[in-house]
Amino acid sequence: MSSAEAPLDLTPVAPPRSSSRSRWRSIGVLVALALAILALLSQGILHSLNYFETVDQVLAKRASFGTETMRLEGVVKPGTISRTSSGASFTLEGSGTKQVYVDAHGSPPQLFQADIPVVVVGHFTSATSLTFYGTQILVKHTASYIAEHPQRVRAPNGTTR
Amino acid sequence: MTKQLAQRLLGPVTLVLLALTIWLGLWVTPPDKIQGQLARLVYVHPSVAWVALYVSFGTATIASALYLWKRTRSMVMDRVAHCAMEVSVVFIALTLTTGSIWGRPTWGVWWAWDARLTSTAILGVLALGYLALRRANDDPTLRARRSAVFAILAAINVPIIHFSVDWWKTLHQGATVFTANRTLLIHGIQAWTLLISFVGFTLLFFWLLRARYRLEVRRESVASAALEEALLARQREGAPT
Repeated sequence: MSSAEAPLDLTPVAPPRSSSRSRWRSIGVLVALALAILALLSQGILHSLNYFETVDQVLAKRASFGTETMRLEGVVKPGTISRTSSGASFTLEGSGTKQVYVDAHGSPPQLFQADIPVVVVGHFTSATSLTFYGTQILVKHTASYIAEHPQRVRAPNGTTR
Repeated sequence: MTKQLAQRLLGPVTLVLLALTIWLGLWVTPPDKIQGQLARLVYVHPSVAWVALYVSFGTATIASALYLWKRTRSMVMDRVAHCAMEVSVVFIALTLTTGSIWGRPTWGVWWAWDARLTSTAILGVLALGYLALRRANDDPTLRARRSAVFAILAAINVPIIHFSVDWWKTLHQGATVFTANRTLLIHGIQAWTLLISFVGFTLLFFWLLRARYRLEVRRESVASAALEEALLARQREGAPT
């Protein structure tokens, strides 16, 4: 039988072992992935997984924070908000009587009001001062959702709690 | 019969629930006491996040595990994992987008590098990495195995995202529904609308998964038919004239 007449053998064969090209491509993908994740993590989160420090924490270790730029979290004390041409000044409350006076520059967000948790980006004005100079105010709204009732009484300071 | 009925009803029921969510969310539910009208995004963002993290990524992870387990190993599982991960990419993108749209007027910024947002962004990168890894491997068995292992490892990020608001101090709010002490922080018509949106978007995932899966089966069928045709053409070349 000549080679022209021999039927083609189309019996399925076991697949070849992974080619090195496929392996290198996979490694390349994983390396690119690792770099992308490191890039994301490097955006401050590698420095600290906590996004902010609370008023209580900062006052407990005031000396260690000095005048470094940080994010300070607290609740806006009712009756202390004073809007200025450059921003707003107010008092941030922690637990008990712990407070920090904030002089913030820049427009506060839409939800900024008394009795709401906020995160202020900035720094203390001196190594021992309890006045915080803010460059940005972020509102940290809570996880509670309460329907607004038009007939709800408002307190003189504007809050409805 | 029941399965066929369920498949036929999946699309219409999904559309009805999503339409109901839109109607209730935009017109029926009252505004929030603190956030006002901005809180209406609560009927979209948490639901797409739920689907992105738990439903779609979870489906991809479970299907990957079933593929790796010898008793349930089949290309069906690989296909499900692949399709679910593709849909997951869409929902992760929706989560980040709706969250950003909500964050700008409420927090005051489009984005913050806190633990919750950063870990969710990482999940998006991992989902894209899964798809890229599949493209890097031509051999179907090897591709299935490598991507299955990758999906299971990537799923480690999901509980990190979930507990990030408890483990660390984040700008992102804590849980409203799945709270640590099982207290619901949303009530009345707002809670019911949230529940409808959760169900609606979950069904939307399964609707999309089914459509994508059928497309994948057809794609493989076309590829297989093309291969057969190529083999036949080669046979004809070798046949005596």
